[in-house]
Amino acid sequence: MVALLLALQLRTITIDQRLAADAHVRLGDTVVVSASPSTGGDSLIVAAIIGRRADPSEIARSDYRVHLHLDQLQRLIGYGDRVDRFAIATHGDSTADAAVHSINDAAFGFRAYRSRDIAVETSETFAVVSRFHRAIGVITIVASAVFLLCILLLKVDERRRDVAALRLLGISRRSVMLTVVLEAAFVSVIGSGVGVVIGWVTSIAVNWHYQARYQTPLRFALVTGDIVLFAVSLSLVLGIVAGALAARRLVRTHPLVLLGR
Amino acid sequence: MRLVLALASLRRNRARTILAVLGVAIAAAMLLDMVMLSTGMRESFRALLLSRGFQMRLTPRGTLPFDTEASIAGATDVTQKLRARPEIDLVSPVLGASVHVLRGDSSITAFALGVDPSSQGDYRLAAGHDATAPNTIIANEDFLRAAGARVGDTLRVAAGFDPQLRTHSGERALVVSGRARFLYLAAGQLAVAIPLRTLQQMTAREDRVSLFMVRLRDPSRIDDVRKWMRIALPTIDVISTADAMARVDERLGYFRQLSAILGAVSLVVGFLLVTTLVTVSVNERVGEIVVMRAIGVSRAHVVQQIVLEGTALSITGAVLGTGLGLVTARYLNTILSSFPGLPAAIDFFLFQPRAAWTAIGLLTACGVLAGLYPAWRAASLPLAGTLREEAVA
Repeated sequence: MVALLLALQLRTITIDQRLAADAHVRLGDTVVVSASPSTGGDSLIVAAIIGRRADPSEIARSDYRVHLHLDQLQRLIGYGDRVDRFAIATHGDSTADAAVHSINDAAFGFRAYRSRDIAVETSETFAVVSRFHRAIGVITIVASAVFLLCILLLKVDERRRDVAALRLLGISRRSVMLTVVLEAAFVSVIGSGVGVVIGWVTSIAVNWHYQARYQTPLRFALVTGDIVLFAVSLSLVLGIVAGALAARRLVRTHPLVLLGR
Repeated sequence: MRLVLALASLRRNRARTILAVLGVAIAAAMLLDMVMLSTGMRESFRALLLSRGFQMRLTPRGTLPFDTEASIAGATDVTQKLRARPEIDLVSPVLGASVHVLRGDSSITAFALGVDPSSQGDYRLAAGHDATAPNTIIANEDFLRAAGARVGDTLRVAAGFDPQLRTHSGERALVVSGRARFLYLAAGQLAVAIPLRTLQQMTAREDRVSLFMVRLRDPSRIDDVRKWMRIALPTIDVISTADAMARVDERLGYFRQLSAILGAVSLVVGFLLVTTLVTVSVNERVGEIVVMRAIGVSRAHVVQQIVLEGTALSITGAVLGTGLGLVTARYLNTILSSFPGLPAAIDFFLFQPRAAWTAIGLLTACGVLAGLYPAWRAASLPLAGTLREEAVA
């Protein structure tokens, strides 16, 4: 198709999915492209409609993207034989540094950068968002820890009559304490397991919502093994600490006092 | 009396009460932060846009201010047309460009605004005097520090750089006439203001501007003026404060959604915490409550006492949380303020008394609701049966 268009001296353009949807443009349609609204432009055939990449830098950018043949864009905007940048592929990572040095030493008026250095510069926005998320995460963890500690203390405190009965039956303080701590740990693990499932379902909903909103395949929420391990471990530690604190207080109190006598 | 009993009940289990108050305080802090985030960013941006009274921005069609290098041709003619309208009070043409301050072999690149000092709304002068003479320049603190310059110094400023020939173009000697704070530029951004005509000559963009800022005599006439502009100036986009706000909402909508979700989670956590605590507290005092009922204390009294317990927990936590929230908001604001390209004057977490009252009010309402269920259960206990069970136990 493209070869045929070229043969007919018709140049082509690719447009992004959003522009195609908003402007009701389809493959094969003719569009007029100009450098400014007040001047006439070139008629081009839509040769492809491209989707968005999973690129964070494209999030929240509402501008449309099109790709033209280089010479045509140069002519349209009166840019002459100029380009803004060259992308260079090297034979492996090790040769990239040598290529950068070689270009910077030899080429007059050019400056070469490694892709990853540019990525660091352009990803500053995401670094800020990431720092913000981390701070919110810390606050959430503190809030969850206090909540968990409070609930588990209450849960253990509710067992004062059972503990009193066990102590009166002659069960040792150590055994009673171990039982209470084990129960608290069990509740924590079950609770965190349910939390992981809720988190996983929520992450699906979050991804679905934001992928649709920003029209990107990027994944916004990830439940990784590390995160699950951290959540379960934190919950378990808090459960054991809360259980031990409450149980220690209970086993130190006389059983009859626990029974309210 | 009821309040005294409720407080006595909370004091009986100090550790538990302190933990619950702490939990509610953290939830309140988070809620306050999220209310501040959802409203503050918008308000802050609106206040910034209207800080100099300009309600409209005119840009080349299809662009946002300084988003591209596109410019509006025939600036003098457009300015005259705009100034001729009786509804328009002030017109400020602005040209944006990069300039290079030459220092021996090296140079410093800064963002330059070409302005008409008599009508500009981009900066506030902090020292010296305005750039009224053609060979003068106003700079911000960051620029003066980077250039090692002071008010009164003369700088060699160029508007263009050819990387292939490594030569500068549009070079001028400009005298720093003043130091200013630029309202719409990012923190740390090196910025200067040059008389419009001078910058146009330096950049070879004769009679072109990047933007017009327009102030109306009567802001309610904005729609009429906009209609006229669409017809009279077809190559220009008109952006009102409301349009700019809508675009900001679109770009930063993520933070509003995040604040709504986290605010709701904070409320639920606070509600659950108070409900659990009051329920457990009531379960522990079933015998006491039944005895009170048996000696003639009314149901309403029991309900009120238990609801007061939940409310006291929530209010104490919410008040503590307000202080905590202001501290965390300040910290979170410093993180988000480092967004590249964001005007330094924008606050994501803007404290408004309304936000604090909203957070405290919501949590208090949660506290009241949280106490209602256990209170209703306690007041509905069958007296004889419960007394017998308690006695056997």
